[in-house]
Amino acid sequence: MEPILKTENLWKVYRSSKVEVPALRGVNFEVYPGEFVTVMGPSGCGKSTLLYVMGGLTQPTRGRVLVDGNDLATLSDAERTRLRRHKIGFVFQRFNLLPTLTARGNIAIAQHIHGNGFDPHRFATITRMLGLTERLHHRPAELSGGEQQRVALARAVIHEPKLLLADEPTGNLDTRNSEIVLGMLRQLNRELGQTIVMITHNPEAAAYASRVVHMRDGVMVDGIPAD
Amino acid sequence: MIAQLIVRNLFHRKLRTLISVLAVGVEVALVVVMVGLTTGMLQETAKRIEGIGADIMLQPPSSSVFLAFSSAPMPVRIRDRLMTIEGVRAVAPVLLQSSTSGGLDVVYGIEPESFRAVSGGFVLHEGRELREGYEVLVDDWYAAARKLRAGDTLRLFDHDFTVVGVVEHGKGARLFVPIRTLQQMFGAADKASLFFIKCARAEQTPRVIEQLRALFPRYEIRPLKDLLSMMTTSSLPGLDAFHRSMIALAIVIGFLVILLSMYTTTLERTREIGVLKSLGASKAYIARIFLAESALLCAAGILVGVGFSYLARAVLTGLFPTLSVQITHEWLLRAAAIALGAGLAGAAYPTWLASRRDPIRALAYE
Ligand SMILES: Nc1ncnc2c1ncn2[C@@H]1O[C@H](COP(=O)(O)OP(=O)(O)OP(=O)(O)O)[C@@H](O)[C@H]1O
Ligand SMILES: [Mg+2]
Repeated sequence: MEPILKTENLWKVYRSSKVEVPALRGVNFEVYPGEFVTVMGPSGCGKSTLLYVMGGLTQPTRGRVLVDGNDLATLSDAERTRLRRHKIGFVFQRFNLLPTLTARGNIAIAQHIHGNGFDPHRFATITRMLGLTERLHHRPAELSGGEQQRVALARAVIHEPKLLLADEPTGNLDTRNSEIVLGMLRQLNRELGQTIVMITHNPEAAAYASRVVHMRDGVMVDGIPAD
Repeated sequence: MIAQLIVRNLFHRKLRTLISVLAVGVEVALVVVMVGLTTGMLQETAKRIEGIGADIMLQPPSSSVFLAFSSAPMPVRIRDRLMTIEGVRAVAPVLLQSSTSGGLDVVYGIEPESFRAVSGGFVLHEGRELREGYEVLVDDWYAAARKLRAGDTLRLFDHDFTVVGVVEHGKGARLFVPIRTLQQMFGAADKASLFFIKCARAEQTPRVIEQLRALFPRYEIRPLKDLLSMMTTSSLPGLDAFHRSMIALAIVIGFLVILLSMYTTTLERTREIGVLKSLGASKAYIARIFLAESALLCAAGILVGVGFSYLARAVLTGLFPTLSVQITHEWLLRAAAIALGAGLAGAAYPTWLASRRDPIRALAYE
């Protein structure tokens, strides 16, 4: 089976004014369709950077990132945007919902950006699975953190992305809500076959995944699949 | 969907939206009212001159139709030569003065007899016709505005005049005094600013004009029949320049207001930009949101501006009943186009900034 995501000797160096910060120093990483992988590692080791590069939010400095066969390093900004639009879904630690829109509006604008039109069946499936049916007309400020993150989750998967990238999705949640959100991630993975890469600091969260990899100082220290 | 986002965002920042809309409204009203005021005065003047009933108006070289600013007078005895032209039935000399006591009013110094011969006479609402000395006739509008009646005193050119009568409006000016009185007051003995000429038959007007042109080559000679339709802003030198500076001012206001409003908006919504980009929104998509938001602000401002314009007219004409503010569809459209154009130009830079914001930095923005 072909990996849905593959990085080869991936480097990312941030250049802010005169300092150069190498956040990734040759990451080799593969994710196969249907996997639920968590990435763990100390703060500042480059986990978020890896996620951003894999999701096409920023260009790698060196190396290759293949998403569904496309090498992101060779794509233009517009092409990366298009790839992100169709194949990637993001969830962040801070829920990042648009504060002026309702839950439904937040999900709908994602569909609008994807440009596939409104798919009521998909919308119903996702909102039901995430337990949002009753909360759709509420604004983010009127929702609990757990509910907000579930809306963010719905928004991220509404267009059936090949890859769901989650950056510490439970980092701002209490234990109970963390469990709910993690349970839903697992449900998405198992029932809809959603491929997921999730960053976490929490070993309990990592337990929901099918595989755990570890990062340190911008490289993977293990986690090459042992097939 | 974008529409919903935009409207929600505008309502989210009510005060800023309100201020921007009001500023654009003021911008629109500024153009509409200023242009309306000047063209209104011009049209009003033209209509009143047309209403005199004369056929031709003769003025010294390079005079304006806009009589409030008239140039050096000519000798009254020119009349004798005018009377010799075939087809001329009557000639009335008029000396003009602008009175600034409580607004800008044109005062006609007339000879009651010759003015009657040219115009067919006043319709008196009360009182009597002019004779001589410090007497003044006022039209009904002026009388209403100043609450004047026959027998009252009106102060003009630092002198008390007796209102001897109130006449129907529409005969050139709102105030008439004996020409000799005006000549004495301004040391312009035997001088006139213009002549109104009445032909024996209206059809003779073109022929009379031809002969006048031969006799007075550099003079301004205008047929009065279509003075109103000929009246454009270019008939008063300086008016176009005035309009242009009003428009320039409006453009600057509109540009700066939208620039500032949208700039703060893009800063404030940096994270939102990052989120939209993470969802796959292209630069064009982001740009569309901010441009559409600016356009909506402008559109609301334009509507408010139209309202302001009519309100300003109501207030102005309420305060100064003799004033005429001409609000035309043409200028409403032009003012709207100016507001929209200036607004979108002002939105261009913030929009550009927003659309090319780095999504990672935007997502990290507090
Ligand atoms: N925009 C940036 N400009 C410069 N340096 C950056 C930028 N973003 C991250 N870095 C640096 O790159 C390194 C990796 O950062 P990254 O955010 O990927 O770490 P992380 O593993 O996600 O950490 P955490 O667990 O705290 O979220 C850090 O040293 C960080 O300071
Ligand atoms: Mg991080």
